[in-house]
Amino acid sequence: MAKQFSPAAPRESSRSGLVPALLAFLVTFLVLMVIALFNAPTRGGPQVMRTIETYLQEVRTTAIPFLIAAAVFSAVLAFFFARAIRSVWSHRARRLNMLTGYAFLAPYLLVTLTFTIGVMAFAFYISFTRYDIFTPPEWIGFDNYARAFNGLVDPTARDFIQSLYNVFWYAVIVVTFQTAIAIALAVLLNTPMRFKQFFRTIFYAPSVTSSVVITLIFIWLYLRTGYLNYFLDLVLGIFGIEWEGINWLGDPRGLIQLIVQAFGGDIPSSQWYLRGPSIAWMAIMVQNIFTTAPTFMIMFLAALQDINPTLYEAAAIDGANGWQQFWKITLPLLRPIILLVVVLGTIGALQVFDQVYLATRGGPLGTSLTPVYLIFREALGQQGPIQMGYASAMAFILGVIIFLFTFVQRRFLERGTEIY
Amino acid sequence: MATTAQQVQMRADQAAHRRPTSYYVKHTLRYLVLILIGLVLFTPFILAFIGTFKTDAEIVAYPPQFFPRVWRWENWVELWNTDVGQGGTFPQWLFNTAFLSVTVAILQVIFGSMAAYAFARLNFPGRNLLFTFMLASMMIPGAVTLIPAFVLMGKLRLLNTFWSLILPGAVGANAIFILTQFFRSIPRDLEEAALIDGASSLQIYKDIILPLTRPALLTVFILQFQGMWNNFLTPLLYLNSPNKWVLNVALSIFQQQFKAQWNLILVGAMFNAIPVLILFFLFSKYYIEGVAYTGVKG
Repeated sequence: MAKQFSPAAPRESSRSGLVPALLAFLVTFLVLMVIALFNAPTRGGPQVMRTIETYLQEVRTTAIPFLIAAAVFSAVLAFFFARAIRSVWSHRARRLNMLTGYAFLAPYLLVTLTFTIGVMAFAFYISFTRYDIFTPPEWIGFDNYARAFNGLVDPTARDFIQSLYNVFWYAVIVVTFQTAIAIALAVLLNTPMRFKQFFRTIFYAPSVTSSVVITLIFIWLYLRTGYLNYFLDLVLGIFGIEWEGINWLGDPRGLIQLIVQAFGGDIPSSQWYLRGPSIAWMAIMVQNIFTTAPTFMIMFLAALQDINPTLYEAAAIDGANGWQQFWKITLPLLRPIILLVVVLGTIGALQVFDQVYLATRGGPLGTSLTPVYLIFREALGQQGPIQMGYASAMAFILGVIIFLFTFVQRRFLERGTEIY
Repeated sequence: MATTAQQVQMRADQAAHRRPTSYYVKHTLRYLVLILIGLVLFTPFILAFIGTFKTDAEIVAYPPQFFPRVWRWENWVELWNTDVGQGGTFPQWLFNTAFLSVTVAILQVIFGSMAAYAFARLNFPGRNLLFTFMLASMMIPGAVTLIPAFVLMGKLRLLNTFWSLILPGAVGANAIFILTQFFRSIPRDLEEAALIDGASSLQIYKDIILPLTRPALLTVFILQFQGMWNNFLTPLLYLNSPNKWVLNVALSIFQQQFKAQWNLILVGAMFNAIPVLILFFLFSKYYIEGVAYTGVKG
């Protein structure tokens, strides 16, 4: 960290920082409390906010504990900020730096405090209540969380557990394939050749369009009368195999179930978790790999260009062929990027929504339910009553899972990521 | 080890500055594979594009013919002129999407570069803490903030307005992260010279940093523009009336409305994809370098 270059600034020790510090404390505390006030758990809807008085009335009835916790938190934060102000106030250059720094950061801080931290506090509080916006939230403790995990014991209430099961399969299959395909494409493109930029652009183009466009096109391709069935009909017809079209996005048969069925058995619905990802779900996976692989290919291409070519020359002199060079030089050096791609891919996989909403709405027999889709559905009451508390609880569980996953992945894959 | 005959051939080739045939074979094969992959990646789009010109009967026929018998441009006109009432028309949706994307992108560039300047160049207590906090906030899944943000917007009476998307979207940790890394890599000489001349931080930011980092700013703009254009969940949640729909949302409603008329639905998809693709082919360098930068420096 370079030293801040500043002209010789006289130390003005006569300026006591006490008043500005107190001012800073008050301002910070007020701003934070206003944000907390807006995020206070009350009844929602326009009639509540008709005037300030009606809203404050509402807050008084339902949100006092929340506001007390927020006040404590805000006071602590404001105190530290005030203390920092006081410590730099006497030194002109440092004071200027601090004021400028926070002035430049102000938009980011305001928006993040309101729409990320503030709302998260609200969500956390709500996850312990039963809340349907039109009535004040009602504290029910861990009931929402218990309900989410109820699917482990009760197969009829398994929505959330099944959604976790689905995205687990999704993450495993999609991340593996998209990373492998991305590396393969990048290695293919990474030779000195003409039209490299052209191919790079062409490969990336499908990723530029929105997931809605891609999903709709693929729904059409996956129809029973669609091109995929037709294509398989033609190709398998060459080998003399009869192909009866599958309704790809409506087929609930799981991968493992199909294998078992090929041997004459079957998996009963009470052991739904043994069935593996359904055909519909895998169809959506394929569609996604289509668009995400090129994005990661670009990242791998950039990383490949950073690899010192003399390493390959040295290996070639020692007699290594292309394959060995790939496994022993390229892959290990790509490790940090592979880690990044896997982490990003997993985070994305665990939050699939668009495709499910458009193509399957949770899919045949719940085999394409995803946590985010469930959260959306329960929060807006699209298939039953509005249950924001339950949705919030699911959201937090998902958040913890994502955090754990990325933490473990980092720990696991980050060994030995030295740069040569 | 090459045999004597091969060695002789190799020397002859080298003398004549000719490459061995295996080189040409390998290269042609490589090009063929690349063209094949490009075709495979583009096949869904090609099929969809051709499908937009088919009649209702042709689009659900099995086995599907590749080319339509007659190229029905009327499909495109029909969809462009769709009016679902309450001001819901294609030009309106196109405008909504473009307006949102441009606004959010510009705001992210402005506020993001301000924050990045503070992180990269200014030194003040709490800076490192805030930077770590920003990094951590990148890991928060959108699902957690989805509902409470919705409730908050309801209280602020911002539901079904563009503010509900612009306000939270005005700053983004992604943009700040990319810009901070970029700012850090610029040599400080110009700024130090300006400091000697008595420039304030604001002047340095406005007159030195911003012009110098134009490529990075443009990249951030394009990435955020694309992100907002392709956004589906938040517009679905917040923008409910037909005159506020974005293209993605309108398209999803078309799908439910037109059911089996895939020729029309695909026209809608094309309307959504074509502006973005045109923009992409014009600015592909920035798109791709932006994505690469996220990967390498992340």
